[in-house]
Amino acid sequence: MTTRTAPDRAPGSTTPPVPPRSAARAATAAALREVRRGTAVLALVCGGMTAMVALQYRGMDGALGAGSLAALAENPAIRTLFGPPAGLDTAGGFTVWRTGTVLAVLVGIWAALTATRLTRGDEEAGRWDLLLSGRLRLGTLVTRVLAVVLCAAALVGAAAGLGLALAGAGVRGSVLFGACLAGTGMVGAALGVVGAQLFGERRSASGLAVAVLLGTLLVRMVADGVPALSWLAWTTPFGLTGRVAPFAADRWPPLLALGLLVAALGALAVVLHAGRDVGRGRWAGRDRRTRPSRLLTSLPGLAVHRVRRPLAGWAAGAVAYFLLIGLLATTMTDFLRDNAAFAELAAQAGFAQLGSVQGYVAALDTLLALALGAFAAGRVAATAADEAAGRLALLYSRPVARARWAAVEAGTTTLAVAVLAVAAGLATWAGAAWVDAGLGPGEALAGALAVLPVALLCLGAAIAALGWAPAAVLPLGVTPAVGGYLLLVFSDTFGWPSAVRALSPFAHLAAVPAEPWHAPGAAGMVAVAAALAALGLAGYARRDVRT
Amino acid sequence: MAAPAPSAPALRLDGLGKRFGTTDAVVDLSLTVPPGEVFGFLGPNGAGKSTTIRMLLGLLRPTAGAARVFDVPAADVERAHRWLAYVPADVALWPSMTGRECLDLLAGVGPGTDGRYRDELVERFALDPDRRARTYSTGNRQKVALVAAFSTRAPLLVLDEPTSGLDPLMEREFRACIAEAAARGQTVFLSSHQLAEVEAVCSRVGILRSGRLVEVAGLADLRRLHRAEVVVELGTAAPDLQHLADLPAVSDLRWSGPLRLELSLSGPPGAVLRALGDADVAHLEVREPTLEEIFLDYYGQVPA
Repeated sequence: MTTRTAPDRAPGSTTPPVPPRSAARAATAAALREVRRGTAVLALVCGGMTAMVALQYRGMDGALGAGSLAALAENPAIRTLFGPPAGLDTAGGFTVWRTGTVLAVLVGIWAALTATRLTRGDEEAGRWDLLLSGRLRLGTLVTRVLAVVLCAAALVGAAAGLGLALAGAGVRGSVLFGACLAGTGMVGAALGVVGAQLFGERRSASGLAVAVLLGTLLVRMVADGVPALSWLAWTTPFGLTGRVAPFAADRWPPLLALGLLVAALGALAVVLHAGRDVGRGRWAGRDRRTRPSRLLTSLPGLAVHRVRRPLAGWAAGAVAYFLLIGLLATTMTDFLRDNAAFAELAAQAGFAQLGSVQGYVAALDTLLALALGAFAAGRVAATAADEAAGRLALLYSRPVARARWAAVEAGTTTLAVAVLAVAAGLATWAGAAWVDAGLGPGEALAGALAVLPVALLCLGAAIAALGWAPAAVLPLGVTPAVGGYLLLVFSDTFGWPSAVRALSPFAHLAAVPAEPWHAPGAAGMVAVAAALAALGLAGYARRDVRT
Repeated sequence: MAAPAPSAPALRLDGLGKRFGTTDAVVDLSLTVPPGEVFGFLGPNGAGKSTTIRMLLGLLRPTAGAARVFDVPAADVERAHRWLAYVPADVALWPSMTGRECLDLLAGVGPGTDGRYRDELVERFALDPDRRARTYSTGNRQKVALVAAFSTRAPLLVLDEPTSGLDPLMEREFRACIAEAAARGQTVFLSSHQLAEVEAVCSRVGILRSGRLVEVAGLADLRRLHRAEVVVELGTAAPDLQHLADLPAVSDLRWSGPLRLELSLSGPPGAVLRALGDADVAHLEVREPTLEEIFLDYYGQVPA
């Protein structure tokens, strides 16, 4: 360019741009922008759910007798599945027992995934290279993002406590419960940042953080079920929440331990950032592989190659969990037969026929539907992420129609979901057989396989999203399972019209193996899933490829 | 690989257009590239080159017009892509796969690959194929895509700024590969910023500005159509030559000394030669413009 402005001052004498006062503050603001929407949504969900359950309990007006309460407190199965029950004679105590574990898992996983998204995700995409070319140092950036995610988790916990307090559950217990939930979320966030320092890929970092978090849930189950190992509860956020026992013992020292756990993990994350290169994790793995994978020569081979590791991880988790479910089958059913009031309450919460081992397994297989649905939606979300990262451009420059690749992925995911269901079914059977609960292998498998239509609905919804709303594959994909589950529970709780209840896929599932398989319901769901998938594939073939 | 229809153009774009929201990225683009031609596709950043290429690959849906590859509609990728290979500007690979695995996969899903040529290309481009893609630099990822594309021996190579990450040695190898492809009768559609590269390998170029094709011509024609730089050195001073500036074909007359003048000439040189006939010309040099000068002419800019 030769266009020059008149030289009204000597070259080089121009004043340099004034830098903003604090680069770290700018990084904090950017991280805040990335978490604010998710934080607001989750805070609403947590606050709303605790308030609703507390109000529901108060509406029941003490239908739960003192004898049942004592029995609940003594039963190892209940303690293992739902956490140590305490203070069930209050609305707050009941709410904590009923929603505490679920919300803690939800908040913890959300915080871990948010942390890896803001750290490893941004770093992997190269966005941190730009940020770090300025005055920011890596340590400052890691610390700031960690602080932001910790605060977001704390806010969500506070919202849950606020919901309880507003529902009239008592301030002291509400504060303690909110703090426990916040602490669990903060552990998840810190685990996410630790994972991001160790692994160079966001998927691995997220996997590590979520696996460790869910592992601490299993540790709590063991600590509650095996008296000799009860000290293990002090090492997990879920166990510490039980020790705090909001609305019952209302102890605060375990909160200190929870705070220490968060501080230790946070410090570990900050320490681990040192000595690693930007864009790489500390555990880089081997950079060379001289024997190429034989799978990577065809589309189905590629699909299998891509699903192997996630499938192994999910299967390990499902086997561990459902083995425990099987092992607890007899203690659980014995207890329920002796406690009519509790069985009724459980029925109201969607756990019908818990009295028989078959009913118990059928009820817990509902949770398997949620897991399978999340897995299926996650696989399609991975395809959408590949597309957004430009990794599919070379593949699609070959004679590979987009709909064909998506269909191959969908078929592989369907098989993987079936493998997961079989693994969970066999694990349930193995556990139940160990304690002679009287559950046949066929029954266990039938129960697990009966929820497959819900997972297929999730797969169909995710493919529809891939075709028409590719930015929202995961949330839309899990909607049939998670949304359907919540819809059923709320419909039963508040007596919503049956037409609304029928929208939930779970309304069309029979309680296999306690009831015979409901073929028309399954066929209907598979048909809807196929229609959604066809719609999605048509949309995917037509729309522009994103990069 | 079966051969495509012999008489069909390798590439035909008919009134191709793409609109993103309210932005017209590509407008009414018509272009035919015959088989065997090495075609250069030029334009500044954001002119719509990549958008055009992504439309002819079927990755984007045109909002107007149509693209055909050897007479097969571009949207029918299962057929059209049997005749082409593509190198994107920004190559993204699955990070945990090695270069060899990427090449195996692309060969496995492609229309056929010459394995021996592929091994030769891996050597020539000095690619270490056993490293995982996450360890590759931009240039190395580009090499993977280049090896995969050239080794298919596809009748049409669509290359979108394929050398932006390559060092000069590798770029020389790339030009050699293009020359070999052209010698075999392959068609090349090369989008590039590297004008020297286009000048070295292309026989015809199209120039894109703001989504519109402003010129399509052979390189020789393009030079002829444009100004030539004329340098005249004189034995004795000739003040009369001042009036050269009045000739309509002459622009930008510069005297770099009493005995040396330079001018830009567009059109036939007859009038200038007649005017110089009476002067004591010691040395006359007529230089054709470089592609860079032509390119900059189109965008009304001169290098700073």
